[in-house]
Amino acid sequence: MKLVTFNTAIEFICFLAALFLLPRDKDLAWKLMIPYLFLTFLVETAGLYLRKQGISNLELYNGFLILECFFTSFFFFRLYRIYQVKLKWLIGWLTTFSVLYVIEMIYHDFSSFTSFTATTMSVVFVLSCLYFYYLKLKDELYEPLLSSASFWWISGSLFFYFGSTVCNLFFDYLRENEPGKYNQSVRYLIFNILNIILYSFWIFSFICRYRQRRSSL
Amino acid sequence: MQVSSKEIISLITLTSIIFLIAPLFLIRYILLYNKKKRNHTEEKVLMQEAYETELLKTQIEVQEQTLKTVAYDLHDNIGQLLSLTAVTLSTINVNDHEVVAEKIRFIEDLTQRSIREVKALSKLLHSEELIKMGLIEAIDFELSWLKRSDRFAIVFNAPERLTPMSKNNQETIVFRLFQEIINNIIQHAKATEIIITLEEIGNELHLIISDNGIGFDVDEIGEVKMGMGLSNIKKRTHLLNGIANISSTPGKGSVIKISIPHI
Repeated sequence: MKLVTFNTAIEFICFLAALFLLPRDKDLAWKLMIPYLFLTFLVETAGLYLRKQGISNLELYNGFLILECFFTSFFFFRLYRIYQVKLKWLIGWLTTFSVLYVIEMIYHDFSSFTSFTATTMSVVFVLSCLYFYYLKLKDELYEPLLSSASFWWISGSLFFYFGSTVCNLFFDYLRENEPGKYNQSVRYLIFNILNIILYSFWIFSFICRYRQRRSSL
Repeated sequence: MQVSSKEIISLITLTSIIFLIAPLFLIRYILLYNKKKRNHTEEKVLMQEAYETELLKTQIEVQEQTLKTVAYDLHDNIGQLLSLTAVTLSTINVNDHEVVAEKIRFIEDLTQRSIREVKALSKLLHSEELIKMGLIEAIDFELSWLKRSDRFAIVFNAPERLTPMSKNNQETIVFRLFQEIINNIIQHAKATEIIITLEEIGNELHLIISDNGIGFDVDEIGEVKMGMGLSNIKKRTHLLNGIANISSTPGKGSVIKISIPHI
């Protein structure tokens, strides 16, 4: 059974990059990228395995959505720390997410992917990315963005969450109307492209972070 | 008209592609803006460095000018007073009581004048301190030396006080501008009258210096080679974000107006 795909390969490479470049990072959020990426890789591989066995992997991805939302939101919050963004915004958003998630799970009788919650999450993350750019534009102090880890992390996330919005919105439609196998579908192709962009940007952000740490030693 | 699922999927694909391209342009825009910000920051640093260099040069020039004045005064004024004192002392006849008393009074007067001159010179040597007291005081003191020569009829119009300038040491540069203009008049204008006006209009400081000398053709000087003095005046005024307006007609004197914003 072939469990190595574009997605799992790039996720594993990104995990390895994090494992080599981030273990000594002083910031907890960056350090947590290592277990987060490892879990992502495991979930993706397990999802693939379940699909190949003909078993639904929706529960697995529904469960992973919680981890993705909580971790990414926490990461955004840490990036905004220097701009004195208050903790109440993080708590408020995570509460909203949790309520939406539970309502959607109940509404679909726990048998469908929580695409509306995922779309809402994507929109919130896109807005967070745009807010980061806004803060950078507003900031009078120059910062070399080409070597800024946070900039590349945010840019990768923007590509991923902005690009996946349409797929998330039409998730049910695509699932029902796309003929043939999943790995020949438009959804699969788009998510492959998005994953390659996301993880490439993140790997570069880890390199920037590593260089930053080395130069400050 | 019914839209087929194939068309909807194509539409979703196309929209996704657009959604992928949009961040690309956004990131490009952010990076370009950031580059401009860097250029702007570098320009600001360069301008600050240029300002600091010019300020240092100005301070040295002010000191040089002061030393020149001291040298001239020592030679022409205090030197003469002391020589006269020495000559008077050498001609004293102790037996001639009436003349001795008169000569001693004269020597005493000469000595008092020498002391006053030395005190004035000492004050001049601290010209930097004088500028700190205020631009009006510094200009007034500088003019008091020029008035002694009796070569020029000098009129100085200034308000009682000026708003302190925002940038550090701006007064020193304005004072040096004043010195350069006055030097130009002394050396080239053959003037008999100098009018200096210092005023504040709105948010600007104006220094206007006019003379009734031989004047010059501004365009000609600008085309051939702007005199070092005039080019310095323009350059330094520009450094203070100000404007130097030089107008002159041959045979009818010249007017130099310097306008410097406070902020």
